[in-house]
Amino acid sequence: MSVEPRVGIAGVGWSGFTPTTANVSYKELMFEAARAAYLEAGVNPRTDVDSFVCASEDFEEGTSIFDEYLPDQLGAVQRPVHTVASDGLFALATGVMLIRSEIASVVAVEAHSKASNVVSHGRVARFALDPVLNRPLGVPALAVAGLEMQRYLHASGHTAVDCEDVANRNRAHAASNRRASHAEAPAGADDPLWEPLTVGQTADSVDGCVVIVLAAEDRAGADPVFVQGVGWNQDAPSLESRDWDRAAATARAAEQAYARAGVTPGDIDAAEVDDTYAYKQLQHLDALGLPDLDPARVNRSGGALGEGYLHEGNGLARALACIEQLRAGEASTAVAQSWRGVPSSSAAVAVLTRGGA
Amino acid sequence: MARRVAVIGAGMTKFVRRAQETGKELSWIAGRAALDNAGISLADVDAVCAGTAPDAFDGVHRKGDYLADGSGAWGKPYIRTFVGGGTGVFVPIQAWYTIASGMADVVLVLAEEKMSSCQPHPQGAFLTIFDNVIERPLGPNLLWIFALEMQRYMQAYGLDKRDIATVAVKNKRNAADHPSALLGQADITVEDVLASEVLAHPVQRLDVSPISDGAVALVMASEEAAAKLTDSPVWVQGVGWNLDSTYWTNRDLAYPEYVENAARMAYDMAGVTEPRKQIHVAEPYDPFDYKELHHLEGLQLFDKGKAPEAAAAGVTARDGDLPVCPSGGLLGVGNPIAAAGLMKIAELFWQLRGEAGARQVPGTPERGVAQAWGDLMQVGTVVVMGTDGGPSTTATRQGTPPIGPRATPLTDEAFRSAAGAVDEPLDLTYEWDTGEAMGAFLEGMRDGRVVATTCAQCERTLVPPRVFCERCFRPTDGWTEVEAVGTVETFSICHVRWDMVALDPPEIPAVIRLDGASSGGFLHKLDEVAPDDVSIGMAVEAVWKPVEERTGSILDIAYFRPRHGGEDR
Repeated sequence: MSVEPRVGIAGVGWSGFTPTTANVSYKELMFEAARAAYLEAGVNPRTDVDSFVCASEDFEEGTSIFDEYLPDQLGAVQRPVHTVASDGLFALATGVMLIRSEIASVVAVEAHSKASNVVSHGRVARFALDPVLNRPLGVPALAVAGLEMQRYLHASGHTAVDCEDVANRNRAHAASNRRASHAEAPAGADDPLWEPLTVGQTADSVDGCVVIVLAAEDRAGADPVFVQGVGWNQDAPSLESRDWDRAAATARAAEQAYARAGVTPGDIDAAEVDDTYAYKQLQHLDALGLPDLDPARVNRSGGALGEGYLHEGNGLARALACIEQLRAGEASTAVAQSWRGVPSSSAAVAVLTRGGA
Repeated sequence: MARRVAVIGAGMTKFVRRAQETGKELSWIAGRAALDNAGISLADVDAVCAGTAPDAFDGVHRKGDYLADGSGAWGKPYIRTFVGGGTGVFVPIQAWYTIASGMADVVLVLAEEKMSSCQPHPQGAFLTIFDNVIERPLGPNLLWIFALEMQRYMQAYGLDKRDIATVAVKNKRNAADHPSALLGQADITVEDVLASEVLAHPVQRLDVSPISDGAVALVMASEEAAAKLTDSPVWVQGVGWNLDSTYWTNRDLAYPEYVENAARMAYDMAGVTEPRKQIHVAEPYDPFDYKELHHLEGLQLFDKGKAPEAAAAGVTARDGDLPVCPSGGLLGVGNPIAAAGLMKIAELFWQLRGEAGARQVPGTPERGVAQAWGDLMQVGTVVVMGTDGGPSTTATRQGTPPIGPRATPLTDEAFRSAAGAVDEPLDLTYEWDTGEAMGAFLEGMRDGRVVATTCAQCERTLVPPRVFCERCFRPTDGWTEVEAVGTVETFSICHVRWDMVALDPPEIPAVIRLDGASSGGFLHKLDEVAPDDVSIGMAVEAVWKPVEERTGSILDIAYFRPRHGGEDR
């Protein structure tokens, strides 16, 4: 039973999902996805979309105050536009709030990656570490994933083989996903990165954009997918203070989203969760209360391991996959979850449904 | 029906040029003060909404995550929103929709800025705000573009610089009564402003707000929660925000349409139909003195081009008909970007509760408006607040407003000698795909051609070219070329670099409106002309580099020069 007024999915659009998008600028990538979403929603962004929410971080873009560069290619010039410095699923939650507050009836939510243009990914990540305590040690920021995986396996009882199974299964799922660029295991998949993490258990970046048009129920079309509940949370601000055993922010965000949606984990029959690293899928399923969900119903899109990692767009990619599965009748209640990559500890969760409720 | 939302507490640090405190500590000081002012603890807070400007200030990627503990967000729903300089007035809008949507009852709102970490000058954080393909190669900085806008504003309405300077005087004098102010000055005069160093003509040093560190916090609550916590809430009556085109060289900089759009959105929600009668106190964004005036016009509080003479006549003084920036604004209190915007909301809160002490405007103001601005001169954020006829309180009953000396000023020398001072260059590398449109434009540059695209629906010729028309939101229809000749839309004469090092000779950036380009043109530099001979409307032509030196860059045009025989406009 729903405890919230409903917000529906009026349209979705995407572009890219390929390792490079040479000769296409990020603006052109966004335009392509936005056009597709508006076409499917049957809306003209110049007149019908009340508000626009984008997710981006300056250092991922190489531009300070990147929100400057958003409106034109989204049809949002001289319209209400703002950015969440976060993952796209936080933008989706923001869109839900805008509609529920009644300041907007139709909201376009956007997130993208132009990761192929970032030469120094490692240094970008390094700047997310504490400048005084962590950076002087010279430990690569991405090695935090190795530290966390080690502790998670120790605490959970999962094994490296379990993680390898996740990677293999997600890539097998990706084989039937037209967006997926990484259905094949990469060369040197068994090579260690930051032990116990291996190359094959780490998602590779792709360029791409996802735009989702949210609408109040009476504007969302017939039999839409609904965003039944959203939750988001911030965990520990430093490596030294975090809980290495579990994804605490995801657990709290899930609790919030499930309560808002009026569902329990037992109601959920599909999940698209963050799998930037294979162990994170297992950790996130634990936090979502879904450790026993049929693996065939988890990351059926292939996840980031199979589709490719869309950076701050990853959460919207997960939501997009849920929407497609719900529309196809493959599920009735799906959960999308995002985490922002190392060294962050924030997470967002959305419960999506179709029919009933 | 959306729920009503109130501000029930506020707090801030002192604004200082360089704070000993970290960004986390500044946030904590302001947040704690706001919670104390509201009479609640962090456990009573359901969610945290945060705003802070570019990560490049701090050299910290995902700065929102970094600030989370200082912001009271550990273990709570927490989102950092961002609209450049407009962020400080947007964060309470974020809190408004978080509460109005039913997602939270009590929200802690934090805005923090620690600009001083960016060396050798915080302007460095703004060098990468410009278009990565056609502007950054020219080496623009913030002073350039604001001087270009100020020049255009003055020219469009025939404004007197003396009238504009009265804003700097008013605000710095007002700030002398603000305990958190960095640059309060009770005895400053218009002559002081007009005699100050010319940075980028027409901008002089005292026209500009100072770089600053600081933080401001609010507690906002639903009607139900507010009723339990205070008998004097200040209601958020209206919110509005609006973002204009990225292509700022295609816009007329004389008037901020995006501020008007944001204001109309907020006024409609607030039921304000006659803002000049219904707004009793205003805190528009004033990083430069002309911006306060520009924004007052966008806020519909004065006719276009008429705010300067009203300011000079004392209409906007603290005891004038419409008190404007009684806080002292950014020009006086300081400009830690996001925190400065939220300071304006805090000031309205104190003014409307009658708690502003020496800064209190006369009478019993019932409604105020605050506004911030930013990005590439393109975003407006507006909040209308009011008492809804409810009781105002006195400082005596509520205690001293929670502002004071916290935040410790630190000299450069003391900073450098402190244990653990960390230097780290922000050496990130990017290789941008130029895309179809800009790729063709740069190919054209190499060949000595200016490539444009056309939109058949709005019948515009677009320079710089794009594959979409942002007005019609459809693909453009074809390629064309325009001549590399045009007129000067606006210009500046810049005497300092971004890091305030003197330039001799000065450089002359200009927005060139190209003949045949209905959208406008682009940013470039002028040469072969004495600074005193440059004028708006002057006919100019491109001087191309020799063919063998061209690389497919905006710099393949070496500069623009007066076009002999061309027609000035």
